[in-house]
Amino acid sequence: MNTKKNGFGLLAKQRAAGWAFLTPATLLIFVMSFYPMVQAFIMSLKTGSSANMQWGSPITYNYARMFQDKLFQRSIGNTFLYLIIEVPIMLIFAVLLAQLLNEKHLKFKGFFRTCVFLPCATSLVSYALIFKSLFATQGLINTVLVSLGIFHENYNFLGTPASAKAVIIIALIWRWTGYNMVFYLAGLQNIEYSVYEAAKIDGATGWKTFWYVTVPLLKPVIVMTFIMSINGTLQLFDESVNLTKGGPANTTITMSHYIYNNSFDGVANFGYACAMSFVVFIMVAILAAINMKVGDTRD
Amino acid sequence: MKRKVVSVLLAGAMALSLTACGGSNGSAPASTGNDGAAATDSAATQAATADVASEDEHTLSVYAWDKNFNIPALKAAEADYQKNVDPEFKLNIIEQSQSSDVETAITTAASAGDFSTLPDIVLFQDHWIQNFVTNYPDAWKDLSAADIDWSDFGAEKLSYSTINDVHYGVPVDNGTVIFAYRTDLLEAAGYSIDDVTGVTWDKWIEIGSDVYEKTGKYLLSMDGDGNDLPYMMLQAEGKSQFDENGDPQLTSEDVKAVVDVITRAQKANALYLANDWSDYTDQTIVGDMVAGVMNGNWIIPTIEQVAENSGKWEITTCPTLTGAEGYASNGGSSLYVTANCKNTDLANDFLAKTFGAGSTETYDAALKNGGVITCSTKAGSSDVYNEGVEYFNNQAIYSTIVEFGTHVPVVKQSDFHYTAREQVAAAIQNILGGADIDSALKDAQDQLMFAMGK
Repeated sequence: MNTKKNGFGLLAKQRAAGWAFLTPATLLIFVMSFYPMVQAFIMSLKTGSSANMQWGSPITYNYARMFQDKLFQRSIGNTFLYLIIEVPIMLIFAVLLAQLLNEKHLKFKGFFRTCVFLPCATSLVSYALIFKSLFATQGLINTVLVSLGIFHENYNFLGTPASAKAVIIIALIWRWTGYNMVFYLAGLQNIEYSVYEAAKIDGATGWKTFWYVTVPLLKPVIVMTFIMSINGTLQLFDESVNLTKGGPANTTITMSHYIYNNSFDGVANFGYACAMSFVVFIMVAILAAINMKVGDTRD
Repeated sequence: MKRKVVSVLLAGAMALSLTACGGSNGSAPASTGNDGAAATDSAATQAATADVASEDEHTLSVYAWDKNFNIPALKAAEADYQKNVDPEFKLNIIEQSQSSDVETAITTAASAGDFSTLPDIVLFQDHWIQNFVTNYPDAWKDLSAADIDWSDFGAEKLSYSTINDVHYGVPVDNGTVIFAYRTDLLEAAGYSIDDVTGVTWDKWIEIGSDVYEKTGKYLLSMDGDGNDLPYMMLQAEGKSQFDENGDPQLTSEDVKAVVDVITRAQKANALYLANDWSDYTDQTIVGDMVAGVMNGNWIIPTIEQVAENSGKWEITTCPTLTGAEGYASNGGSSLYVTANCKNTDLANDFLAKTFGAGSTETYDAALKNGGVITCSTKAGSSDVYNEGVEYFNNQAIYSTIVEFGTHVPVVKQSDFHYTAREQVAAAIQNILGGADIDSALKDAQDQLMFAMGK
């Protein structure tokens, strides 16, 4: 009835409100994310020191360079190795822990949940440094293993390529399992108890209930944690820098760490670093797209 | 309904991943830098974000990184200038957690084209400066206006800070290499310091192996990650990792011989390769794992941190492939005036009348408080230099080091010094991991050529 009062229709008013709410976030995303991305792409076509950048000749110079860069290829290999080993182990642990902690009759539930989640509250740098000192040649792990008689002499965990990679994976699992568990807990709590009762009446065992009831119903959450873990692992940086410095002999370096080295180790090569960042960006996008396709439940 | 919630969640995850990625592509250097280990020193990062150059006409600010070594030297110069020139003078020393923080500060400022984040003066590593002057010429002010007698300084040292015949830096310390030994441990294995002076590396490995067997200590340790040994050993032979044209020659017989010595020494338990620099200093030297230390003489304050070993150390030259006494130089740094310095006259005058003048007052105090050894011949002849040092069994190590310094051969330098060093270190790790020496060095050479864009 009053629609004509201010010269605005009710619908128009609602629309205006919608735009007003959206604008700040949209602007911020444009200024803080999309604009730098475009700039980074332009920069990835340039070469030279960061104070005096020139267009590459040919324009794809930095991208072509990557195909000859053995170290970058190794860093891709390392990152995917971490990804392939760490993500499944971590997510399986997280599902199992969530299942345990969702148990109706468990006592001190809150306490246990806090304990499992607590690693996530630690800073990436400090936890990496603590792992570094734990696994040092004269560190706690070595002392314990030697005094138990498992090892004869102190083993240089971080100085041997294979074990250094293993330490990084162990550290990642410790740090991120609790984080993913929280998503599963939330997912589990959304599953109606009556579904389990029905399964029980039909004579399903605990394992069968888990596999045929819990997992399918959790599938959307599992897909989401997968995407987040893949994305996080592809951008792995702190562990490589602080635990091993990429060593020994760059055998544990990750893509982000190599990009960082190119940007900030001595004279900056921002053009090449940006080009590599874009390749990582494309990898993340492709993997996430595949994941969403696989996780799509629509027919 | 549930599907809708999930799709929103998924879209959210995607958006997050995209923005996060975009952030790492284009974000300002400062934010990425904060993730690194360098950021653990909060004082350093705070300093780096503020406008630190001095406005006051009696004050200069300076970045330095070692409170046991170069910071006492700067304090000595401040006191000298206050006493003899300007009583109101103040030097604002801003401590960085490591030398690479200064390099990052220059890179960041030069990339942004905004030098206002820099202090008036920075202490800068000699091996990096040529690279930084070439790539960021606008970040520096040369010292042609400063009244300094350059002929007083060692030629080898000045060869780093002089670029295209223009002087950019004033030398602070001297990187002459020493080989320090624990004489008590050598004795326990049946040797004396004379047995390890002027020997071949082959003989040295035998001795090292004996020392390890009898005492459980390694005769030498090194940071296996940024290995200083190949460079020092090559210089002692008068050779370089680069040929006359500046091309790398990591597959040359010289490099191969040196790398071979290092790997054999490690296998014979004469040499211990630590995982990184802090392991090298804290674990192997301060942690008392070694019977010998070979590096630039700036390593002396680190050795001296183990108080109970006072009087047990002595220094000598390093072994060579031929058995002649080896002289080399490693590391060291000089002071450079940055583009952000508003009071260039004061900065030039301060540098010219303290470090640049070979002022005994500055250098004597720098030596006493920080163990900083000059490469100025004038300052190096003062009485303090000829005093015996208790920690080193009353040997007059400082005049000895100045004397060693005069024998150091000038070898071909390169903008890619550290890249070469890293590649050789990686090759050594690979050889120790079972790779063949020729193919490992070939890989290193290829990688280095690639990094140099050749």
